[in-house]
Amino acid sequence: MRKTDLILAASMLATSTGIADAEEASLWVRTSSGAVLQALAEQYNTTHSDKVTVTQITAEQMVPKLGASIAGGAPPDGAVLDLIYLPTFAASNSLEDITDFVKSVPYAQAMSPSHIRLATYGGKIYGVPALPDASIIAYNTDLFEKAGLDPKKAPASLEEIAADAKKIHALGPDIYGFYFVANSGSWLVYDFLPHVWAGGADILSADGREATVDTPTMRATIAAYRDMWAAGAVHPTARSGNGNNAVEAFASGKVGVLMTGSYIVNLLTSKYPAVKFQVAPIPGPNGGQSSFAGGDSLSLIKGISPAKKKVLLDFVNFYMQPAQQVFITKESGMPPRTDVAGEAYAQFDSRNLVAYDVLAKARTPYTFSSDELFVSRTGPFLNLIQGAIFGTDVDGAIKKAQAEFTRILDRTNPK
Amino acid sequence: MAEHCETAQSGAGPAETGREPHGWLGLAFIAPSMVFVTGLFVIPLAMTLWMSLYDWPLLGRQTFICLDNYVELFGDGQLWQSLGFTLLYTALVTAAILTVAFPLALLVDRPLRSAGIFRTVYFMPVVIGFGAASTLWMWLLNPDSGVFSRVLLGLGLVDVAPRPLESFWPALAVIILAVVWKTAGFTMVILLTGLQSIPQDVVEAAKIDGAGIFGRFRRITLPLMRNALLLALVLNVTSSMLAFDQFFIITQGGPENSTISAVFSIYLASFSSYRLGYGSTLSFALLVVLVAISSMQLSFLRDRPEEGR
Repeated sequence: MRKTDLILAASMLATSTGIADAEEASLWVRTSSGAVLQALAEQYNTTHSDKVTVTQITAEQMVPKLGASIAGGAPPDGAVLDLIYLPTFAASNSLEDITDFVKSVPYAQAMSPSHIRLATYGGKIYGVPALPDASIIAYNTDLFEKAGLDPKKAPASLEEIAADAKKIHALGPDIYGFYFVANSGSWLVYDFLPHVWAGGADILSADGREATVDTPTMRATIAAYRDMWAAGAVHPTARSGNGNNAVEAFASGKVGVLMTGSYIVNLLTSKYPAVKFQVAPIPGPNGGQSSFAGGDSLSLIKGISPAKKKVLLDFVNFYMQPAQQVFITKESGMPPRTDVAGEAYAQFDSRNLVAYDVLAKARTPYTFSSDELFVSRTGPFLNLIQGAIFGTDVDGAIKKAQAEFTRILDRTNPK
Repeated sequence: MAEHCETAQSGAGPAETGREPHGWLGLAFIAPSMVFVTGLFVIPLAMTLWMSLYDWPLLGRQTFICLDNYVELFGDGQLWQSLGFTLLYTALVTAAILTVAFPLALLVDRPLRSAGIFRTVYFMPVVIGFGAASTLWMWLLNPDSGVFSRVLLGLGLVDVAPRPLESFWPALAVIILAVVWKTAGFTMVILLTGLQSIPQDVVEAAKIDGAGIFGRFRRITLPLMRNALLLALVLNVTSSMLAFDQFFIITQGGPENSTISAVFSIYLASFSSYRLGYGSTLSFALLVVLVAISSMQLSFLRDRPEEGR
């Protein structure tokens, strides 16, 4: 009798303290980054009384599902999503303002600048970087050597890449100089736009409201790609490829230069240790360097309770600590803070540092209609690349893209 | 011949029954289906109509814009192009399916045991979902690791792996090939029921009268299975007008947006542009087009020349 009473009392105490102290906040993450965030949440939950519950959402359904949940009035407390969608969600008044938090943390200046820029709308900040990555080129040093090129010196311009690619293709009919994924919008923004940025131009105005497709840099970039395609130096799968074969093609040792991302270093060293390669930032047509800052940002959804807001911001502060930054680097290749390179990369391949250095100057298009302009398989950006590089009418393709961009922007720009 | 038909049909007509059942009983019988029709068709249709009058973004608030969506629809070049493409696809694929399914039906309409095996073989692809079949074909067509390119290269028929999805007509041709493989079996079964409903004595009589094999086919088989043919036609046209999976998965609308079907353009408006209102407008417009086409075909089906005589 006494014993049951004790148990009853103990369990009542446990539940009542549970209600009083522990707050639970829900976080939606896309499947591609699910494992890392799940692990971080578990680390957090075991050391804190508050709980963060992670729900994984299929990557490409994140935006429609999150949009529908916000419209339906039952959203999660926070979401970790592709940073390119932040302007859209911020402009529709769906995200919670966390400017004070972002400005008050000691590492405020060290968070990936492009992630902060994309999270900023109307002077307020609505998100923090979670799992960044950056686009780079990888080149096969064995093939460079065989073609009489210096494997220690990365190509400094796109024109140099084109010349190198043709020399590498001359090694044999089934050896190709260049590989890029031409049939996927999300791959092309990642790997193609940095050429344009490195050349000092951009495809959108800084506020994302106007299209600037037709620039001399864009034309020079297209010309270099056409040159390689006409010479047969581009891998034949590039044109209709959606990214599935890219790494395998490079790992087979028959591709000289691959347009890729920062994750490639860990992927190749762990799965294809035989490939000899180096990585470098993406060059512009005549020089310069740039990169696409991709990956995820964490945002809180508008209307979150102050208690839950405190939990999620505490979680952010938790994963921004050096120990967790090293863990993130180990699991997904790159930490969201740009000031922990020494610690985060001490135990990893030094080639990771190339992408890491470039993250500080990497960019992302600030846009309110990412899917329609860039990601969509039927969107104007993908059709521009397909038409201008593989087609016959470069002027027509550029003109059509400029018109389509303008038509979509006119409709989607927030009033 | 006409007399034979008449007897056959009047024999199959409803027999005279006794007293008419109570009205409420009939209502009770149709109630379950009315619930389904109302809940899953009438209400969603009304909501679609209602949404089509709004500027309804996925994010942010919706605003009433009356008929603006419908005005935009008339000037939407992409939509008209996709509607034109869908009609072209429907005409080609329906012709292709009937051309393949009719001979198949004639071949398996035999009292042999092996005919049953072939019927099953031809019908097999029908039971696969369209999405799964499209994914299967996407990999079969893959120029680097797909079966087709390996076989063609291995046989020495081509020097480089063919890439049919990079230009319009080859892309459309392989899609039609995939759809024929997937759906011809179903049309074959419909035609087979038509073939088997032809009374054997008519055929015998024609044989005795000295009609040859082609004469019998043209003057007996074809006219007597008119209804089965029309049914196959209606079903094929309707499903082809609503084609989506094969273009979404295999061609992904390419090359250069040339294979976007009507339903695909609804998908793009709703889930790429996130314009749910305009997507509803497109859905409603497609419904009107489909109802028009189907009612035209059904009116053919309704008048029966063999009875009118």
